[in-house]
Amino acid sequence: MTTALAVHGLRKAYGARVALDGLDLEVPTGTVYGFLGPNGAGKTTTMRLLVGLIRPDAGTLEVLGRPYTWHDRHRLFDVGALIETPSFYPFLSGRENLRAVAATGGPVALGRVDELLTLVGLRERAADKVGGYSLGMKQRLGIAAALLSDPSLLLLDEPANGLDPGGIVGMRELLRQLAAAGKTVFVSSHILPEVQQLADVVGIVAKGRLVREGRVEDLLASSAVVRARITGDEAPGAHAAAAARFGADAVAVSAGGDGTWLAVRTEGSRSAELNQVLAQAGVYASRLEAGSDLESLFLELTGEGAPNGGMGIGGVA
Amino acid sequence: MRIVRSTFRKIVRRTASWVTAGLVAGLLALVYLALGATSQAVSARPVEQAAIKALLTFPGAYGTVASQLLDTGGLFALAFAAAVAGSEWGWGTLKSAVARGESRWRYMLATLLALVLAAGVALIVVYAIGILAAVGGASLAGLSLAGVSDSATIAGVPSLFVHVWLGVAEEMAIGFAVATLTRSQLAGVGAGIALFFGEQFATLILPDVVKYLPFNAASAVVERANLAAGAAPAALPPDQATVVTIIWLAAAALLVAGATERAEIGS
Repeated sequence: MTTALAVHGLRKAYGARVALDGLDLEVPTGTVYGFLGPNGAGKTTTMRLLVGLIRPDAGTLEVLGRPYTWHDRHRLFDVGALIETPSFYPFLSGRENLRAVAATGGPVALGRVDELLTLVGLRERAADKVGGYSLGMKQRLGIAAALLSDPSLLLLDEPANGLDPGGIVGMRELLRQLAAAGKTVFVSSHILPEVQQLADVVGIVAKGRLVREGRVEDLLASSAVVRARITGDEAPGAHAAAAARFGADAVAVSAGGDGTWLAVRTEGSRSAELNQVLAQAGVYASRLEAGSDLESLFLELTGEGAPNGGMGIGGVA
Repeated sequence: MRIVRSTFRKIVRRTASWVTAGLVAGLLALVYLALGATSQAVSARPVEQAAIKALLTFPGAYGTVASQLLDTGGLFALAFAAAVAGSEWGWGTLKSAVARGESRWRYMLATLLALVLAAGVALIVVYAIGILAAVGGASLAGLSLAGVSDSATIAGVPSLFVHVWLGVAEEMAIGFAVATLTRSQLAGVGAGIALFFGEQFATLILPDVVKYLPFNAASAVVERANLAAGAAPAALPPDQATVVTIIWLAAAALLVAGATERAEIGS
């Protein structure tokens, strides 16, 4: 599989603050790549570097299979981008704004503006001034602007911002269609369920470095957890028994507002086995849950803390 | 050229463009009509009455209207150009263009060129309004309008206009450059106007140096075509002023290109 986007050892600092600290990532062609990270992790800085808004301090970039530097602006003719908030002239209409954007960069096909206004559901409001648009409408117009040149690579920074549920579903379907047509979609977000539903491949970034990358199903499998609700007195015995069967690194106990939980990182199909192990140790769980989600993995990898209920792994709390 | 055309359309659609041109035209008309209406006032001294009549008398009024247009229009044009350049940074529209692979310096200079072209159109209209107001003022003052059709002066009006346009274009470029450096509409407009008035105040202290500065040089260029009004004693000779104004215009454009090309666009 070819690579649409590759970044190696990318570093960028703003004064003393390091935004990117040797970032590496590879985005396969024709996939939807979810670029996840908490606020300040370096997502937007990466986006800015990819479209030549800022210069890297170190590292290399490849865009559409070839090395890319600050001066290779023509390469961006085949890249569509929505970086941070959508940027438009408030005194122009949606249609006029798209025409103004079309006057820059790569060529735009005749009729493309109206085609995109229809695609993003703004045809009815195309003649209204953008100053009167809601955030969601501006976001949709921003996605239309990114698609003007029918790019092979689409870079979208938090594209679901301000969209209503219907708009989010519509955007998800649109991006899936684009990927199915062979285009590569690189989406940065901190809305994990959205990325979980949308992306084929996910890269998780924290403190300017990539901490995990892989296909969504693989990451979900690796983050599968079975939890058993026990009493505080039972915790040591339960931990020892579970650790003996599943490995000490996979077992954790945490106490929270909803009681004490033993969490074991393993597939949901092994929940009965855990129940049996606990029973043999004289511990009878009052509740058993199995699940996996990107959020748990994300929080664990980015050091943002465990989610409610203590799903995190890492030892006895 | 497509960026120039696109920016020209944006300027036409921008309310501030019409407000700016309307304010300049209104001020110009107000000044000349007020001069005509007050020229006969009993409170005015003979010297003042003579000065007012000199301003309103044609064909000399063709030159005085042009001078007034540069003085008033130049300042408004500077502020407007600064607002346009600042908004490219503030609204993030420059960012969008760069992210589409557009050349930074070409985008900003094309925007400046479109502004100068739009200013040219606006100046023609406002100058015509100013001349009509001067005719009205002369009528109110009871002055002869025989000089209005003076063919020799009318033949010189295009040259006069080109000089006004050059002066205004240079002042716009200065405002545009200041806003490019500050990356803000408000700061650009504020700093541009402060620079304009700072230069006028500095004339009192260092006239031999300040005459080479952008706004004084632009003013002297116009006065070359308006010999009837006479140039200020410390002003540059007209030919020299033209060269200095062109140099300032080019320097401002280069500054815009260089600063935009080197800038890290963060938001």
